Amino acid sequence: MGRALAALFVLLLPLVPASARPIVVSPGPEALSVTLYRDPYRGADEGLDSDWLGGYALITETRTVSLPAGESEIRFEGVAGGILAVSAIVRGLPGGMGEKNRDARLLSPGTLVDAALGRHVRVRRTNPVTGAVAESRAMIRSGPDGVLLQSAEGIEALRCSGLPETIVYDALPEGLSDKPTLAVTASSPAPATASLTLAYLARGFDWQADYVVHVAPDGRTLDLFAWLTLANGNDESFPDAGTQAVAGKVNREDDDDEPEPVSSGIQLKCWPRQTTSDIPSKSAPITVIGGEQFFQQGTSRTEDLINELPQLRAVFSQARQEELGDLKLYRLPGPVTVAAHSQKQVALLQRSKIAFERLYAAAVELGSPDEDEQPMILLRTRNVAARGLGLPLPSGRMAVFERGLSRPIFGGEASVDDVPIGQDLDIVYGESPNVRVSHRLVSEERKVGAADDDEEGWTRRKYEVEISNAGPAPAEVETTLRLYRGIRLADLSRKVSVKTGRRLWVARVPAHGRATLTYEILPSVEEKDDEEADDGES
Amino acid sequence: MRYVVLIAALLASPAYAQSAQGDVAVTIYNDNLALVQDVRQLTIPAGRSRQEFPDVSGLIRAETVSFDAPDTGIVEQNFDYDLLSPAKLMEKAVGKVVTIVRVNPATGLETREQAKILATNGGVVLQIGSRIEVLRDDGLPVRVIFDQVPPNLRARPTLSVTVESKRAGPRPATLTYLTPGMGWKADYVAAYDDAAGRIDVQGWITLTNTTGTNYENAEVVMVAGQPAQTVTQYRGNQYDYERQQQSSLRNAGTESGTRARLGDYYLYPLAQRTTIANAQTKQVSFLDVQGAGASKAYEFRVGWLQTMSDPQSADTVLKFSNSKAGGLGDQLPAGVVRVYIKDARGAPQFIGENSIAHTPAGSDVAIRTGSAFDVKVKAVMAKRERISSEEWERSYRYRIIDSATSNVRTVEVQSNVVYWRTTMVYTLTNARDTPVTVDLVQAGLNQGYWADTRAVSETIPGQQISVEDRRYSVTVPANGKTELTAVFDTRY
Repeated sequence: MGRALAALFVLLLPLVPASARPIVVSPGPEALSVTLYRDPYRGADEGLDSDWLGGYALITETRTVSLPAGESEIRFEGVAGGILAVSAIVRGLPGGMGEKNRDARLLSPGTLVDAALGRHVRVRRTNPVTGAVAESRAMIRSGPDGVLLQSAEGIEALRCSGLPETIVYDALPEGLSDKPTLAVTASSPAPATASLTLAYLARGFDWQADYVVHVAPDGRTLDLFAWLTLANGNDESFPDAGTQAVAGKVNREDDDDEPEPVSSGIQLKCWPRQTTSDIPSKSAPITVIGGEQFFQQGTSRTEDLINELPQLRAVFSQARQEELGDLKLYRLPGPVTVAAHSQKQVALLQRSKIAFERLYAAAVELGSPDEDEQPMILLRTRNVAARGLGLPLPSGRMAVFERGLSRPIFGGEASVDDVPIGQDLDIVYGESPNVRVSHRLVSEERKVGAADDDEEGWTRRKYEVEISNAGPAPAEVETTLRLYRGIRLADLSRKVSVKTGRRLWVARVPAHGRATLTYEILPSVEEKDDEEADDGES
Repeated sequence: MRYVVLIAALLASPAYAQSAQGDVAVTIYNDNLALVQDVRQLTIPAGRSRQEFPDVSGLIRAETVSFDAPDTGIVEQNFDYDLLSPAKLMEKAVGKVVTIVRVNPATGLETREQAKILATNGGVVLQIGSRIEVLRDDGLPVRVIFDQVPPNLRARPTLSVTVESKRAGPRPATLTYLTPGMGWKADYVAAYDDAAGRIDVQGWITLTNTTGTNYENAEVVMVAGQPAQTVTQYRGNQYDYERQQQSSLRNAGTESGTRARLGDYYLYPLAQRTTIANAQTKQVSFLDVQGAGASKAYEFRVGWLQTMSDPQSADTVLKFSNSKAGGLGDQLPAGVVRVYIKDARGAPQFIGENSIAHTPAGSDVAIRTGSAFDVKVKAVMAKRERISSEEWERSYRYRIIDSATSNVRTVEVQSNVVYWRTTMVYTLTNARDTPVTVDLVQAGLNQGYWADTRAVSETIPGQQISVEDRRYSVTVPANGKTELTAVFDTRY
């Protein structure tokens, strides 16, 4: 009798109805590969934001499951919390796949009440004096925003009495899980052990290249080193994962159409305005999905780079670059652990003795001295092997260090967009205190039009642009001369070249010396036609 | 014997009973809309009776409900959303008698009394016997037990139908309604092999349910198409300028698809009945094609006659046709195409995604996956000059007839035509070790709606694809560059 009863209990115990397929739980992957993609909306000059990582990753997992014959449901546990379920690909099922489901009804006090609405539960009351516990059966009539219970005694509101009371459930309702769960239905012709590949995109990752530029003491070459900085903002760690990062611009579409995870607390609502209730209305515990994140390394990038400087001469095991269609893939040398809420740095590339020219770039607005730009220090080279480079440079920030007396001095920070081989590379990293531009109106000649309007009046203005160099070495200064349409230029005192569509005055300013350019402008007769039109610059 | 009783109790009160839904069929449209048909077995008495329908969609559009059962006529249809809550229950109990259970905080002893609720204005005022009290004014524990729930209060919004039946007895009753909160789109996995020029495409139907209701064991049909709805709702990305410019559908096809149709819409029925749970995303395969033809291309669009400060990457575009000859031979419902290629070790890697609209079979599809790291374009306005023209144009000429004198005068309006001559130099660079061809489009030629823009000279012949756009097919050698110079005359 007892054994028969026990067997009956075993039949009754499973919490899901017998009609459901057997559930196969895959607790975690055996092998992992993580490929990181940079936030497509983050500019080259923006660092990654550890509180909100806008990039993503392709995670490829190998999992082994034991499948029964016939239909079964495989649940994948331990996937990244930021999983984009619609992107999931499952390969290796012996008998093919039926449907793929992501359930976002989470187990929470509120969803428990919601799922048990109209069903029988137990209410447990504890006598505050004697400690006696009494349980009675009741049915939930409404909730979770204000819970009403119906029992043999009548109808009561949960915890509006001031007495300790709670709901006890007989079983977990179907379809509630601790986190959004990905499951597939499979059918296998025979019991089988299958090695599955699960690949999916997941949010909450990012990566970037962080460059360190050291200008050699001779001032003619520089050394370039780059970190591959990767970050994982998910709650899950990816141990011993083959890790890659993809450089280049990858198009993404909106991915916010997956249902939000549903979870809530129980809202206690008692009698009108609750003035006679001494139970405060407790606010629902809020389930934050992918909310607050903290990082093990929270310091700013520049500080990190300075702290890490002494290591730079050491030999690194460094990421290897491969072609991936029209993108660049960087493969980390060995399996690494991409830990939850953490940031990791690996050497990305290293080149030394890169030939460069130091020059200064300024821009003046002809006729409007107020809108000038002071010279920026610029290190110019070309991404070719002949100059010591000749490799793809993924976008990122560059910290430039100059030679100092005993140690390097931080010169400034620049940023570069993706630079393919063969392209010019300008590292613009700061305003020069030595080389300055002054631009002023020298003289103005005005003729008032005659009273009978037969002759129009005109104004000639003469300007001077002067570059001064307070430094101990001659300075090569490139000044872009911007000219709005409708302004006519005359008597330019210096030779001006036109490079890639813009006027450029290239001057070599001697040490502690000056260079000047003068010009005149006349109002254009066509001025009226050309309103609103500019140089067409983007 | 005690065990037997326990088992009996467990069997008698299963923790969770079945849903009240009957035979459910769901038709899901793309645009966040579904048609639910629910056939329930109802026992309807003869004469007038009120039938309630729990477990309908939490977002039901009640005005779209229709009810049909044999030998019955509808008297009225109600959608009640006066929700049951402790406060509502107390308000509705005014004038009624409830049971008060007090627990002595020192001894734990319970005492029961009958109380009449007098008012609930800012606090509950009770009459117990001959005295008046305010409920829980002393802060001591008091249970309030009500006899019944007022008839109109419900835990959830409830649909009810009052019917007039000719006979008593069970019969199937069909309930149909529209509900938002369910929608579907397609998700495609495209594995591209550049060397072979082939793609494998898997298509998934992705349906989502946020109606707050589960649909148990339902027959499901997806309809590819967007029926017009008068209900205002947010349509994502409709005004995305970029997307309009770079539509994935390049050439709409004219082949008929293989799927079942309903009017102009294609139907995608699910092979098996399934349960659509609330807050669920469900995906079912509908397309699996191996080895369809595909190719990669580069495109770049120069927005106007502009000077770019830096070279910009050309777009990488995956092109294929969903014609029968192309290998796909199926219409593609709107969704997102995710493209994967194999890396050096043979592992598939993601290289970008883009969305497609409903694409009839036989269409040319171009998926812009991202930008090419190694292929760049720089457009420079090298020269812009005013053409001194002596030409005068008779812009307007019209006649005026004076009705009083019947004299006819002709009026001519003359204006000076201004032409601008713009020289554009496009530098295309290629750091790849293979030659590439870039489709370069100079857009914005329809300047200021003056359509008479002319391409005076160009070093590579262009093709005018619209009044706005001119296209050049520029071949760039491996590790090299190509310069294209074009001169445009414009009115503005």
